[in-house]
Amino acid sequence: MSQPTPKIRIMPGAQTDLSAATYQIDNETHTLGNALRWMLMKNPKVEFCGYSAPHPSESHIQIRIQMYDNLSSLTALVRALDDLDSLFESIEDAYKASLEHDNIAVWDEGR
Amino acid sequence: MAPTPESKKYNPRLHVGLLEERVTNVSSTDFPGHYPDEDHSWDLTKFKKRLQVKIQKLSARSIEFDLVGVDASIANALRRILIAEVPTIAIEYVYVWNNTSVMVDEVFSHRLGMIPLNVDPALLEMKENSSDQATDRNTIVFKLQIECTRNNSAPRDSTDSAVLYINSEVLAAHLQWVPQGEQAEVFAARPPAPTIPEIVLIKLRPGQAIEMEMHAVKGLGKEHAKFSPVATASYRLLPHIILDDANPVPSHLADRFRDCFSPRVINVDPRTKKVSVDKRGVRGETMSREVLRHPDLAKFVKLARVRDHFIFNVESEGPYEPQRLPLEAIRVMREKISVLKSAAEALRALGDPEGDIQMADT
Amino acid sequence: MNQQGPPNSAAPAPLLPPPRQEMEYLCADCGAKNEIKPREPIRCRECGHRIMYKKRTKRMVQFEAR
Repeated sequence: MSQPTPKIRIMPGAQTDLSAATYQIDNETHTLGNALRWMLMKNPKVEFCGYSAPHPSESHIQIRIQMYDNLSSLTALVRALDDLDSLFESIEDAYKASLEHDNIAVWDEGR
Repeated sequence: MAPTPESKKYNPRLHVGLLEERVTNVSSTDFPGHYPDEDHSWDLTKFKKRLQVKIQKLSARSIEFDLVGVDASIANALRRILIAEVPTIAIEYVYVWNNTSVMVDEVFSHRLGMIPLNVDPALLEMKENSSDQATDRNTIVFKLQIECTRNNSAPRDSTDSAVLYINSEVLAAHLQWVPQGEQAEVFAARPPAPTIPEIVLIKLRPGQAIEMEMHAVKGLGKEHAKFSPVATASYRLLPHIILDDANPVPSHLADRFRDCFSPRVINVDPRTKKVSVDKRGVRGETMSREVLRHPDLAKFVKLARVRDHFIFNVESEGPYEPQRLPLEAIRVMREKISVLKSAAEALRALGDPEGDIQMADT
Repeated sequence: MNQQGPPNSAAPAPLLPPPRQEMEYLCADCGAKNEIKPREPIRCRECGHRIMYKKRTKRMVQFEAR
């Protein structure tokens, strides 16, 4: 009862080889859910990926992943997280470069 | 294939169409398997090639920047984090010794919570539990002690309460910071105070007094809006106005055509009356679709938006300089990703070699 | 009912009057300080107004700024 909720767990009904599984991610919202869903769908080995926030007053999301060729959905998930991180890293780099090198119109808002 | 984003023609892969009463091609289709014989799998090199970030406008309080070449789910994640998950400091506990003003303690406490403070959240730790001990590492203390009195030197015919009374208004500037422990050194560069000193918290009349202490803590916007670092964080898609070179707007309609759009969006050559779209000004188009209401003008134009060109507008309200906010949002997002990644890897390591997996009970 | 004094003090001990606290009230009309005494009309001694306000507690009260 008093065990801390795991960050991620596999919901019942998953294939034993994890080629199709629903993961419940604790303390996350559409913010991560939708971005992760998009990155998983960019993987050609993913047959289906969708996510939902089952109830607004429960702070978790569920993400369903089904794979082709009996591949592991958990491996695909970890890879998607890696790719998502490199995506945000490149946005970060590009933003910093713009901040440093671009000719930015600075204006006075009056306060 | 691979049309350039500047391609003038309407391209359902790149553009969201705007008709009089409906939008078209709203969802992105760049997924593997959507188009036969096309590869749309994730490719960082291709992504970087298309990615473009450009800061357009910057002031002391706000920033406008373009984020080009990402999916809406990515842009939306940044927007949501800016509003709800970049931490700030706000007053959370109020200890009232005296309050004889006309405002009840509860309401006044609520007002105090909403004051934006200039404290850099990086200098404080988050209280994990509300029952955690308040320390100089997680709490900033403010004091408010003020009484309204008559101003004996006020001119007799004066009717202005600011002249008649002393302390007739309690301002955010009246909050006094009380350094705790090592805070005097840590916050020496920028002593904690409200970002806007002239906020009126309450009005007083002679004889009314307030005495209270406040504890400010670090929190997230998803917990309470007072912790949100922004006043606004929004994006919109770049407007795209498509004129047909083969079918130009006739010169006698040019001025009416221009007036259907926001100022500086359409250029009309003063001599030839030739109509063109202003490349800079088109960002400011409100997409009112006024032009589509005039059948004689509508046939010369198509309205659209560029699906992966996000114009962000962020107004900072707290301690962050506006140009720092997107970086903080990215930091928070990458932190989320790394936490989930290590949890997922731990879950994968748990699965025993026979391929048996541990499933949740319920 | 609230009982004054320690419980089971039914035996009429030397009847000391409880430590008399100044129970001051404020006139609703003129704001003057007034004492209210038993068997006396509630009336402001400055202006004759008959409504009194109790003073605010001297204790600290805690609130959440939400």
